[in-house]
Amino acid sequence: MILTGVLLAVLGLGFVGWFAARGRARLLHTGRGSLHSMPSYHGWHVVLWIVIPALLAWAAWSAIMPGLVDGAVMADPAAAQLPADAMSRAAVVSEAKAIAQNPDQAAFNPLAQTLAEPVRAAHQRFGLIGALLVVIVALAGGGWAFTKVRANYPARTRVERAVMGVLLLASLMAILTTFGIVASLVFEAGMFFKDVSPIDFLLGTHWSPGSARGDNLGESFGAVPLFWGTIYIGAIIAMVVAIPLGLMSAVYLTQYATPTIRKWLKPVLEILAGIPTVVYGYFAALTVAPIFRDFAASLGMANPSTESALAAGVVMGVMIIPFVSSMADDALAAVPRAMSDGSLALGATKSETIKKVLLPAALPGIVAGVMLAISRAIGETMIVVMAAGAAANLSANPFASMTTVTYQIVQMLTGDQEFNSPKTLSAFALGLVLFIVTLVLNIIALRVVKRFREAYE
Amino acid sequence: MSNARLSGAAQGNARWQTPEAARRIARRNAAERRFKLIGLGAIVLSLAFLALLLVIMLKNGLSGLDWSFLTGSDSTDPDVAGVWGATKGSLLTMLVTLLLSFPMGVLAAIYLEEFAPKARWIEWVEVSINNLAAVPSIIFGLLGLAVFINTLGMPRSSPLVGGLTLALMTMPVIVISGRNAIKAVPPSIRDAALAIGASKMQTVFHHVLPLALPGILTGTIIGMARALGETAPLLMIGMRAFVVTPPGGITDPSSVLPMQIFLWSDEIDSGFVQNTSAAIIVLLVFLLAMNGLAIYLRNKFEVRW
Repeated sequence: MILTGVLLAVLGLGFVGWFAARGRARLLHTGRGSLHSMPSYHGWHVVLWIVIPALLAWAAWSAIMPGLVDGAVMADPAAAQLPADAMSRAAVVSEAKAIAQNPDQAAFNPLAQTLAEPVRAAHQRFGLIGALLVVIVALAGGGWAFTKVRANYPARTRVERAVMGVLLLASLMAILTTFGIVASLVFEAGMFFKDVSPIDFLLGTHWSPGSARGDNLGESFGAVPLFWGTIYIGAIIAMVVAIPLGLMSAVYLTQYATPTIRKWLKPVLEILAGIPTVVYGYFAALTVAPIFRDFAASLGMANPSTESALAAGVVMGVMIIPFVSSMADDALAAVPRAMSDGSLALGATKSETIKKVLLPAALPGIVAGVMLAISRAIGETMIVVMAAGAAANLSANPFASMTTVTYQIVQMLTGDQEFNSPKTLSAFALGLVLFIVTLVLNIIALRVVKRFREAYE
Repeated sequence: MSNARLSGAAQGNARWQTPEAARRIARRNAAERRFKLIGLGAIVLSLAFLALLLVIMLKNGLSGLDWSFLTGSDSTDPDVAGVWGATKGSLLTMLVTLLLSFPMGVLAAIYLEEFAPKARWIEWVEVSINNLAAVPSIIFGLLGLAVFINTLGMPRSSPLVGGLTLALMTMPVIVISGRNAIKAVPPSIRDAALAIGASKMQTVFHHVLPLALPGILTGTIIGMARALGETAPLLMIGMRAFVVTPPGGITDPSSVLPMQIFLWSDEIDSGFVQNTSAAIIVLLVFLLAMNGLAIYLRNKFEVRW
């Protein structure tokens, strides 16, 4: 708590330092060209020297403080009664820490209650030392920088170099995120594959993590029904809806609609892409699924389930329409004008030109767009969670309940179980598969789009 | 000679005027009209679906939208339950997301567009940004769970962790739109600033950035709107707790609007159908307002160079 407050103090110091340094630099100004840098750069130079060392000191102290607190608590007489076993000792200490944070909490272990007071005292003492340390570092940095306020001091160059460093760090965040995703998925999935062989996981056809125990873990973690459900819903049913509707919308908007109609219809169509997926999921479960269930019943199917692959897939397809439409739009626009002009000049009608010339020429771009759409559909979560069901069925019946990779990830991680069980770890293995598949689809699609553009340039 | 040519032309004309030719032309014109109608039909069908969705939500939810619904928090009783707790959770989460992703995204965009050397690792940055923009959102949830909660021990279900996770997801969107906005500023602006003695850094921060800012803001608002409607990654980090009191700070357990919709949609009590639809209306109003603001900014400040 004290450490959080001290950060505000450092910012305040920085504020004061800025004005002081700028004021002093202004006094040095004796005429045109007398200063190397503008006064405000001297201000910023001082601010950097106050804030950056202080933040480093703060981070370092936050890292070592828990160790110091633990040491002080162990040295306390009350700690002599602690159990010798390391695990129960840690449990008591962590309970004492919770009580020190929040005194109203009831103590489960009486020992924790007696230990809470030393913990609090140690916290306070080391917090105060840390705060003093941070402030001293800030003052020292600021003081040193303040002595540098001279007419010929290159404050601007120094400040710009620091800003450049910040820019560089910001752009490294993207790589860091990618690395974080890959590392965490591979690490957790690796722990899962220690228990379950990857071959059983990728080729097994029986998925029932609930009954998984003992030595035959591999038999309960066969993910093929999940992959099939994902492909059936995301890549087949959704695409059967999205490709014709999206493609024809794009053809109409680019070839037939007047500019005014296009200006109005396109943003309205884009609204479909902006609606949150949880809303689609609710709509699918509330309205679409019962319609399909009744339809299945009228076809003579015995107890059709409310949760069906068809409901989830159709709604997902509608969600993807604007995406397919705008990708097809780009692909059609990239076809050179001369090709359609040539066809029209030979006497073909507009629709003949579109069908025989434009669409074949734009095909690579459209295919790439469809691949991106599929990668979106298979990563989609909320619609399938709310409408597709939990049963791992390996069936081609669209009215059957079906489960997907994303559904199972949610299922495995939202229950109450310890973190390192094979069940929770399997979610990371599924996530790894999903990540790799979408990555490959995206890379291929982007490469196709690039080559396609180059072909017509 | 000229006679023969004339008769040839007459023959040619005659070929187009036989009943058979007329039929063929009529058939092709009909096909043309059919094709155009199919195109129009595709759009109308898509929009009809949108209209159906909105009408059903309005029909179910409009009667549930009253003051006590907007100011109440979650409850097991559908008549008492309200959305303020979830809305406040959403606002806190969005605040964390914005504070992190906006500066990071803009600074990264500036570096990549204005300063980056032609180097191998810059290509890696660009590839990873483009891929992150297409990674399924649930993967970011797994990242948040593994890194922020299990490794760094941050409080579960809190707007802090939710905001961090969504910030990682939103940053690539801001970088991409930021780069496009910076690219659109003509080089003559930079040349003029450099010519009167500004440093490269001054040129970028004093001249290029202010001109690119409307475009960057538009992209940021669109990215934030997407983050506001996102549910799956927050499900991973446990923001599905039943929270009766609105969160007091960014480390308190809380829920967010889309999560509230998801939780209520699971309730068996039929009173929650109205609540769910009403919460959807609230969420859609927020999204509409944000997108409207983005369009307004674009129209008002967009400069055609």
